[in-house]
Amino acid sequence: MSATTELPPAPDVAGTSLDGTEPYIITAEQNAALCRSTGIEPASDGTAHPIYYYIATQVAMGKTVAGVCATCDFDVEDGPMMGSSGVHFFAPLHIGTPYRVTGEILGLVRKRSRKLGVMDVLDYRLRLHDETGRTVLETTNVWVLPRKHLA
Amino acid sequence: MRLLVGNTLPEFTIESVSAEAMKAWAVFLADPNPIHLDPEVVKAKGLGDKVINQGPANVAYLMNMLMRAFPGATIETMESRFVDNVYAEDHLTAGGTVTAAEPGQVACDIWLRAAARGIVISGTAKLTLAS
Repeated sequence: MSATTELPPAPDVAGTSLDGTEPYIITAEQNAALCRSTGIEPASDGTAHPIYYYIATQVAMGKTVAGVCATCDFDVEDGPMMGSSGVHFFAPLHIGTPYRVTGEILGLVRKRSRKLGVMDVLDYRLRLHDETGRTVLETTNVWVLPRKHLA
Repeated sequence: MRLLVGNTLPEFTIESVSAEAMKAWAVFLADPNPIHLDPEVVKAKGLGDKVINQGPANVAYLMNMLMRAFPGATIETMESRFVDNVYAEDHLTAGGTVTAAEPGQVACDIWLRAAARGIVISGTAKLTLAS
């Protein structure tokens, strides 16, 4: 397909719910293992490593990684790539607290890239809530889905 | 430490990224993507010849750098842009520079560099300092 050929539109997935159904609890054992795998000791005050912003929201959102890809008509075996990740914390994360996830896909935009050829850029937002319903963080992630068959 | 715009942050180093740790992260993330587990899959996809570290693990190194640079502080916001892959056995350095400082808060540009390839993550962070 030449650079001047119009691309078929990306699937219209904006607004797709990513609300989770099961709570996510950070265990002391896993937090300790995770901290040590990154070269630090776990905190002694009951707080968890802040990278759980990504882990908790990914694991407890309403779709698996493969499921999110499938929603975008993309085979996870074709290799989704992380483009960017942003987070806004409103409170620290704690061990033993049941957290729930709400969220949605913000958009899927088809683009041409010199490096990757045709790709879809997936943008989605997830929020983590504690057991009182308070939002403790909001994260927005961007994945790049290479569309080799359109290149 | 007195914070001034332009100050560089103490670096945090990973001497050699562990393929074994990637197996643990596959469990943490509930994501068994084989590019993190099997170098033969990485080769078959033309992505290199060593397993590729999970992106969130690389973000965790940056967070460690920030938590060491500002003891007791909490990360308020953080943005990470993934520029390149990190592979098993990579030597990594996380660092940053203060871009704004006011009482109780600091903002930084941050980066993660692989000795073999250069910057692999660039980003920004804002922290609330310990009182």
